[in-house]
Amino acid sequence: MTKGKAKTRSKDLAGEGGLFPESVLSRISDKLGIPISEVSHVVETLGQVAQVAGDTDRIIEEYKGDKSALIQILLGIQRENRWLPSDVLMSVCEKLGVPISRAYRIATFYKAFSLNPQGRHQVSVCMGTACHVRGAPRLLDRVIEAVHIKPGETSLDQRFSLETVNCVGCCALGPVVVIDSDYHSNPAKKELEAVVSACD
Amino acid sequence: MARLKSAADLEKARQKILSKRDPTKPCVTICSGTGCHALGSDKVYEALVSEISKNGLRRRVDLRRTGCHGFCERGPIIVIFPDEICYLGVKPEDVPEIISATLSGNRPIDRLLYEDGDGKKIAHEGEIPFYKYQRRMVFGSNRLIDPKNIDDYIALGGYSALGKVLFEMSPEEVLDTVKRANLRGRGGGGFPAGDKWETTRNTPGDIKYVIVNADEGDPGAFMDRSLLEGNPHSVLEGLIIGAYAIGSHEGFVYVRQEYPLAVSNLSLALSQARKYGLLGKNILGSGFDFDVTIHRGAGAFISGESSALMTAIEGMVGEPRPKYIRTAVSGVWERPSNLNNVETWANVPLIINRGADWFTSIGTDGSKGTKIFSLVGKVKNTGLVEVPMGMTLREIIYTIGGGIRQGRKFKAVQTGGPSGGCLPESLIDLPVDFDELTKADSMMGSGGMIVMDEDTCMVDVARYFLHFLADESCGKCVPCRTGLEQMVNILDRICEGEGETGDIELLEEISEVVREASLCALGQTAPNPVLSTTKYFRDEYEAHIEGKRCPAGVCKALISYYIDPDKCTACGICLRDCPVEAISGGKNLVHIIDQDKCTKCSTCFEVCPTRFSAVVKISGEPVPVAPPLGTKVARKKGKQE
Repeated sequence: MTKGKAKTRSKDLAGEGGLFPESVLSRISDKLGIPISEVSHVVETLGQVAQVAGDTDRIIEEYKGDKSALIQILLGIQRENRWLPSDVLMSVCEKLGVPISRAYRIATFYKAFSLNPQGRHQVSVCMGTACHVRGAPRLLDRVIEAVHIKPGETSLDQRFSLETVNCVGCCALGPVVVIDSDYHSNPAKKELEAVVSACD
Repeated sequence: MARLKSAADLEKARQKILSKRDPTKPCVTICSGTGCHALGSDKVYEALVSEISKNGLRRRVDLRRTGCHGFCERGPIIVIFPDEICYLGVKPEDVPEIISATLSGNRPIDRLLYEDGDGKKIAHEGEIPFYKYQRRMVFGSNRLIDPKNIDDYIALGGYSALGKVLFEMSPEEVLDTVKRANLRGRGGGGFPAGDKWETTRNTPGDIKYVIVNADEGDPGAFMDRSLLEGNPHSVLEGLIIGAYAIGSHEGFVYVRQEYPLAVSNLSLALSQARKYGLLGKNILGSGFDFDVTIHRGAGAFISGESSALMTAIEGMVGEPRPKYIRTAVSGVWERPSNLNNVETWANVPLIINRGADWFTSIGTDGSKGTKIFSLVGKVKNTGLVEVPMGMTLREIIYTIGGGIRQGRKFKAVQTGGPSGGCLPESLIDLPVDFDELTKADSMMGSGGMIVMDEDTCMVDVARYFLHFLADESCGKCVPCRTGLEQMVNILDRICEGEGETGDIELLEEISEVVREASLCALGQTAPNPVLSTTKYFRDEYEAHIEGKRCPAGVCKALISYYIDPDKCTACGICLRDCPVEAISGGKNLVHIIDQDKCTKCSTCFEVCPTRFSAVVKISGEPVPVAPPLGTKVARKKGKQE
């Protein structure tokens, strides 16, 4: 079964709230073929992220419920919550009186938004021109090797999300990888491993 | 400070700020722009704070965190006033010595100073060649002010242009001055700002908008970010002046959310300006009302296009629309909307203060004033440089940039971002201005200048830009959506060694269609990276297609690595570091790469000590047959030949 499906199933279970008996977790673990520790970790994390955005109202209030601020409101939710769950999108649209199709169009058009839960640590490899000519593709290979996921993916234990970005404006230091908000200029394999292992 | 109610109040406030400042008092400034921040300037700042207080110097020394100085390559940068002693690459552990030697003992620390090619140390920032040959009229104040403190801007004469405009000039006079200055848009097209302002001004309508385009999406350009982060009030002052000339009372700043520091410094600047009565109702008691809203872009290159940007401000997906009617006439909510780039707005206060004649005395016939470039890539001194229009590429790259890194040979310079082109060595003496770059099949764009050396593959560069543009195309019109996809397919094939005769011509043919038939500037200029490289570097395309060879050794499918048995000393470094365990060997045994396992990641090539240089990269020729496993090395570790 693919990882995406695994996530959705676990989220359904987590969404009911509360902890699951060991037997349920072990059944999931068997069916998906992943260790039970990872299953419980995913369920726990998704349980937390599912409790989302109690603050949606506050963010909408900040923009006085203005329809034209839809992008700004979604940016606010994305920043605090690291992703945009479908029920949140629905409720924002209801409150602003805009069709849900517009929210989805925005959420899928712009790069800042994510419709899947993101990892605790955001890893962004800059693919800007200056970084590219100074070896960004090779840096990306090293990063993939260090975090064990490909660009656009989130690790199963929600530890990392990896993405490529088109210029972080640090061209003089290229090639650059940004891990959370720390910039690393062309780190060698060992340095990367050290940084990655320091992320919980 | 109380709300300022007249131009005289502003001048009084400035005098008051200056009277509290002693120009002879030592002031340590530390660059806190993005580049220096990434290199750890925060930690250096903390060390400065604690050392200054530990030494009881808090009353005797000022400490200021400034915006970007531009010399990002050598950050974190510290400049100590009044002598302007400049330290580069400062680490927290250097701070105690800076305090004891330079601040208390008035002695510069040699190892932190800039060293020129002859080993001569240069202490003063302005004498470092990187800065010496620039003309920093727009960007220069960055190093002097704390962007979070409006008083620093006012102390340098900030907002005096606004005062002059509101009390001494009619909107028509302002417009006339900007038109006479021939200020052209710094964001890409180079359209005369004065003409655009006039169109919006003359279009009937009660509500008009002025907009700052800070959606700097060109990869490799970061001058707008540095200006907005380092000197937000200069942009704001320009915007208010423009609003006055145009007759607008509402403005927007559209800034990428990827620039969080720019958003926060700008927000702070807006609230400080409101408090001082420089923004909002009845600005400086003149009766003119104007306010600004910040709109964060959510990450789409196309949203930097004017009509797309305006759609995004309305809260919709930022896609362009046909511009039969220009946005200056019908923009945000179909109202007249004047949009200019960050750098363009920042030029306005200078033109007002010093006059159109002064401005037109700088630059070339068609392009006046200066331009900020981000000089990056394979050049020694990377960073932001501001030079008068008309300076040659050679002067920028060699005199200011210090030439190519690691003694490599210059191959090309890419200007204008993804819509621009690559210029070869034969054009190195080209004077850089809007018209000359366009004539050479490139463009000014927002001012990205990416230097490439002989290790850069021009086909790969074209492919890189086309991938970027195909990815960022909004998909609304067919020529751009489908045309770019086909071009990407062809370029991918060429780089993978599957190019066919006729591919170059096919690329050029599709380019023509995409250029002519696309809806907006993204599509219309998208073929430029291909057209300029097929024009100036056609031999590289031919080498890929006919010879299945990548002359720069970049395209993975066309290169191989092998270990020269005569040079290998069996040191074991490559064997240990190979991520796919493709190298076999042992103590005193020649190391051998298994070509079937090799992913061409280049690790072995990079880690092989230069004194051995045993790993060789080849392209377009068969890999030499490796000696049998277990062959003893001919050369012993550590021995030089």
